[in-house]
Amino acid sequence: MNIDNHNNVCEEKIYNQVFTTNSKTVFNYIYYKFGNEEKAYDAVQEAFVKLWENCAKVVPSKAKAYVYTIANNLYLNMIKADKVRLKYAHLNTDVSNETPEFLLEEKQFQEKLERALASLPENQRTTFLLNRIDKKKYAEIAELEGVSVKAIEKRMHLALKSLREHINGI
Amino acid sequence: MQENYLAKWLNNELTEEEIIQFKKTEEYTSYHKIITASNNLQAPEFDQEKALQAINNKRNTIKETKVVKLNPLKKYISIAAAVLLICSLGYFYTTTLDQTISTDYAQNNEFVLPDNSEVILNAESKIAYNKNSWDKKRDVSLEGEAFFKVAKGEKFTVTTNQGIISVLGTQFNVETRTNFFEVTCYEGLVNVNYNGKDYKVPGGTSFMVINGNVAPLSHVKTLVPSWTLNESTFKSIPLEFVFNELQRQFNLTVTTKNVNTKQLYTGSFNNKDLELALKSISIPSKISYTLEENKVLFYAQE
Repeated sequence: MNIDNHNNVCEEKIYNQVFTTNSKTVFNYIYYKFGNEEKAYDAVQEAFVKLWENCAKVVPSKAKAYVYTIANNLYLNMIKADKVRLKYAHLNTDVSNETPEFLLEEKQFQEKLERALASLPENQRTTFLLNRIDKKKYAEIAELEGVSVKAIEKRMHLALKSLREHINGI
Repeated sequence: MQENYLAKWLNNELTEEEIIQFKKTEEYTSYHKIITASNNLQAPEFDQEKALQAINNKRNTIKETKVVKLNPLKKYISIAAAVLLICSLGYFYTTTLDQTISTDYAQNNEFVLPDNSEVILNAESKIAYNKNSWDKKRDVSLEGEAFFKVAKGEKFTVTTNQGIISVLGTQFNVETRTNFFEVTCYEGLVNVNYNGKDYKVPGGTSFMVINGNVAPLSHVKTLVPSWTLNESTFKSIPLEFVFNELQRQFNLTVTTKNVNTKQLYTGSFNNKDLELALKSISIPSKISYTLEENKVLFYAQE
């Protein structure tokens, strides 16, 4: 067993850093898959506790992949996913200038988008949302999901295509 | 249009030509709208602080269970077991072991047996009894001299190397010294087994054996042995035994010169005042003495 704390996650500083950098995304990742906040929260805990238990065996560079794998494996056998519910941040807060018709239309569109996202296959939805919300690069998502970048591009492409078809009622 | 162009478009990997071409399509508006809307999407709140706190709590319990493991518990258990074993062995040992009370030269000791029988131990004496089996058997062994006030009850036995004294409840004194054995009964009746023969010693009499010779029972006027009142009393006792008692009471060494130690002595000496005691012995016996520190020399008068 490697007890050199400077080269593993047993060191508090490194562990906290891994947590701060990744916990939110792990949470989101599990949430995108299953649409269940509680499960996502538990997954984060489970994953990071496991990371701590095995800190001596995990080098910092592998810590990230490790927690995603643990979190993912936790619900591997869960068949039915809940509906993913997402919030819409109004980043361009200049809402007052919009007409009521526009706001209503926007709201309706958002609802459609939400339903469309929920209808996506889990892997497409997760990839799409990791990219759009968490601003993860395709390469990074590929690493998390354990697939090629091309596969992620495929998922991304299909996700967008499905969303449009769903929203436009095709 | 290249494969997965939508993904490429999002990643700004399309060529300018491709972008122009893509923008011409009727789907473009929809895609653009979807992307614009999705850019405002937010995942549910995640309280990172709270999660870290919860994880740290779990980590601490892990740390404890991990580092502490079972070893210290095992250690404590083994210590506890060892202590318990020692204690129980000790208890077993001490309960089976006889209780011993002894006195040194110039000492008296008064104590109570488990059944409230009183014992006064004279100088240089030892008594032993078993506390544990006391309820079943009132049995003490004695070396030296002791006065017993036995509480009523089952047979009470005093075992000495010269004889066995058994009573049911009375007051008596036993003295067993070298070549001297005396049992004085002050109340009730005492049975003395000496050399396999039983002697009944009623209250107010004294059974005495000097140098193996059993003397006829003599009468005792006092109610308690005089030594319990700090007085050593003798009635026709050879001087050597008187000197021995003097040695015990004052913790000194007695030597004689031209003195007939077989000469009988009747009288008493004080156990606290040495000068008085020496005079009490020397004057009636018509001998002289010198005292140096803790050595006394008795010598015949010119």
